[in-house]
Amino acid sequence: MRRWRKGFLGGSKEHQDTRFEPRFDCQVDEVLELAWMLEEEGENSLEELRARSDDSFDTQFANARAAKQIEASDGRFMLLPEGRERAREVIRRHRLTEVLLTQVLEMEENQVESDACRFEHILSPEATESVCTLLGHPPTCPHGKPIPRGACCEKFRKDVTPLVTQLVELRPGEEARIVFMTPKSHALLDRLTSLGIVPGSEIRLHQKQPTCVVKVGETDIAIDCNVAKEIFVKRV
Amino acid sequence: MHHRCATGTGSKQDLPRLILVGNPNVGKSATFGALTGKYVTVSNYPGTTVEVAEGTALINRQKRLVVDTPGANSLVPMSEDEQVTRDILLEADSDIVIQVGDAKNIRRALVISTQLAEMELPFVLALNMADEARSRGIKIDLEAIRKALGVTVISTVASQRKGIDRLIASIATAKTSPHRIRFSRPIEKAIKEITELLGDNVRGSRGLALSILSGDESLIPWLYRNLSEDKVRQIEAVRENTQARYPQPLGYVINLQRLQALDRLLHTIQATEDVKADRAVQHPLKSLHPLVTLSVLGGMIFGLHMLTAINPVFALLALPLLILTLYMLGDWGMHPVLGIPVLLVVLYFTWVFVGSFGAGTAVDFLQDTVFGRLVNPASSWILKHVLPWELARELFIGDYGIVTMALTYAFAIVLPIVGTFFIAFGILEDSGYLPRLAVMVDRIFKRMGLNGKAVLPMILGLGCDTMATLTTRILDTKRERIIVTLLLALGVPCSAQLGVILGMLGAPGVPVSVAIIWAGVVLLILFKVGYLAGKLMPGEKTDFILEVPPIRMPQLENIVVKTLARIEWYVKEAVPLFVAGTLVLFISDKLHLLQAVQNLAAPLVQGFLGLPAKATEAFIVGFLRRDYGVAGFYQMSQAGELDLVQMLVGLVTVTLFIPCLANFLVIIKERGLKTAVYMSLFIIPYAFLIGGILNWVLRITGAYK
Repeated sequence: MRRWRKGFLGGSKEHQDTRFEPRFDCQVDEVLELAWMLEEEGENSLEELRARSDDSFDTQFANARAAKQIEASDGRFMLLPEGRERAREVIRRHRLTEVLLTQVLEMEENQVESDACRFEHILSPEATESVCTLLGHPPTCPHGKPIPRGACCEKFRKDVTPLVTQLVELRPGEEARIVFMTPKSHALLDRLTSLGIVPGSEIRLHQKQPTCVVKVGETDIAIDCNVAKEIFVKRV
Repeated sequence: MHHRCATGTGSKQDLPRLILVGNPNVGKSATFGALTGKYVTVSNYPGTTVEVAEGTALINRQKRLVVDTPGANSLVPMSEDEQVTRDILLEADSDIVIQVGDAKNIRRALVISTQLAEMELPFVLALNMADEARSRGIKIDLEAIRKALGVTVISTVASQRKGIDRLIASIATAKTSPHRIRFSRPIEKAIKEITELLGDNVRGSRGLALSILSGDESLIPWLYRNLSEDKVRQIEAVRENTQARYPQPLGYVINLQRLQALDRLLHTIQATEDVKADRAVQHPLKSLHPLVTLSVLGGMIFGLHMLTAINPVFALLALPLLILTLYMLGDWGMHPVLGIPVLLVVLYFTWVFVGSFGAGTAVDFLQDTVFGRLVNPASSWILKHVLPWELARELFIGDYGIVTMALTYAFAIVLPIVGTFFIAFGILEDSGYLPRLAVMVDRIFKRMGLNGKAVLPMILGLGCDTMATLTTRILDTKRERIIVTLLLALGVPCSAQLGVILGMLGAPGVPVSVAIIWAGVVLLILFKVGYLAGKLMPGEKTDFILEVPPIRMPQLENIVVKTLARIEWYVKEAVPLFVAGTLVLFISDKLHLLQAVQNLAAPLVQGFLGLPAKATEAFIVGFLRRDYGVAGFYQMSQAGELDLVQMLVGLVTVTLFIPCLANFLVIIKERGLKTAVYMSLFIIPYAFLIGGILNWVLRITGAYK
């Protein structure tokens, strides 16, 4: 578990990027992000934007405006093309992080939100694509809001099946390759391993009722569906 | 290679050993049987061999001690069974190993082969069940495996003795395998450091090093015996430093890398595996529409029903029908929908065979004809002429006589029931149906803090609770073993007891509702106590993970041998207790102790439970044998001394009542004296309490008036 976090997020070099002065950059991001979300809700009043922001809104907004990201007139805001693109990216990173932390790492909701707010600023484009691919290009965040599509999703648009899913998400009869496992105890990990259920193994889901039955190699194994939720696979 | 002079007629321990190792359920025991001609329980259920079986065999004109080890998926032990196996291998000096592998699961077999190579043990690899692999279209390139491992590889079908002669001949060629798996650099470095610390005169130091790195704590005593404390600490430091480099536990990393290396190896040697498993032989019944198949089954049941109405002996036909159903439809056994009709049909055929044929026809024949007309009259005639004393004669043929009560009971009533149950159970075991049943009932057992695996001891308990208590070893945690032991002791009637109970409930004039209330109360109590025990016992629930073996046709010879072995075990265990129980009754009767105890227990038995005074007798002997207790009620019921309420209360109480003496002794052996005493202290008052409540409810509601 920890390895993924390190590899995809913690190890990212984006925070060393010097194109923008980080603090200034983040604040602009916040304004753009909020503007995007309000637009999603069909709202474009400047007052609303101000109401949902913190005290430093006026400075933030002025900065964003100076950077030609956003414009305001008649008490209404309007994202400029460059700002819209940037907001898209922030939202995408934020919501992908939410999916990663909630579904794969099974973190607490509060923790997910605060972490996602930090990761949205530091995830490099490469890391974002990797996360997106890993998660199987999820269309929505855990709260059901749409995740803006990225270049990687376009490539896989025809292939709508997500790349990595929980084993229980397979249809009975489907075959897949195990990508990673997140069992809750070492003992369970050992038992799965001893039956040949390890990352890299091909696995076939026989049935899900009354309990999950899988086939690895030529061995049929009945496993708890709770355990099958902790096995992440890629369809073959 | 390792030829040793035969030690002549020395004791077993002096003989050179031949150790069988392999994954669970791959035919080690069958191979053992083929080598030694000796019987061990062979069944199609993972983890049946819980104790190490030994037998001698003359191999290449040399007498050897053949040792059958419990199935292991890895020689780095993760379970008690695997530790037993590893310990046997650890002390193997100049012994030879036969690794039995499943021909269709080479990957898992190779895990053990490579570990044997690391332990530097000379071995040959027998790839068993070659027929099954072939029927699934798997071709095995024996030559390629031979080359990769550098040891002899033989293809066998142990259940049919195929390839066994070649296997025996190959034992002389056993040698250590030079094959080594390359692990990632930090692990290889750690292996090097640890093997240096272990020193040169340790055999299989690479295997030991890997075991230590995997975090095998069971090796610690061995390390302290063989190395200085300082070195053990250095080894521990190497392990910790290496572990620090990986986010996952080292044992997992090692396993993973081993499997990945094997997958690469298999890729090169198993290119012939092109036919997919789905092409396996389709049974004719399965290829039909499920509804058609189910109507065929319905027809068979109806036919059987009609035939038994003509002559009860036809109930014997249930046995071939059971085998047929299991073989043809066993694969449906864990189907979410079809699994239920399959279960019902299996239950029905089992019931007809055990309940109608065993407990009906066979008991009638033995009781009325063999004992009633032959044995009992003959023994009374002989005794009349041999023993002049009335008292001594009564000891054998009186009301509480050893022949007329104990032996009649043991051989005429119990034996046919237990015997037919063991036959049916053997078939269920060998067909591979039981693991599927475990899948079906997993949800129900989850409620009791158990999982589907517990179904095996519970079903076996319907045969013999003592045997079932021993089988609780297959469960993963101590907690589950205690819960199942408690449930077995409390409310799972053994076949002898069940047979007598069903005889009473099925008697003419007894409404069906009595049987339903009895079964309902017992099931409810079992479930409730299981649920509470699951809640009260500390410990985490274990996840249900069970290998499901393929459906196999039970081998007639295997069933016969297995049933005979179980009956032998049963007779040895039960008959002395029957005799002892009868003696207790005989002496108590003569000394008028029975009367005294009956008076003493009167408030409880007569007052609270509302039973006749004679019922006390049944409870007393119930301590010795569960079924003996019921038999007391059986006689009272036949003599018309019980009304329906009394019958129901008596049966429920005696079903829940304390287990038999043998079961109690096994509980002490397996769970410890303290647990055994606590369980009894709970069960006895609880059984009376439930009986009393039932009595009260039935009297209040005025049922069966």
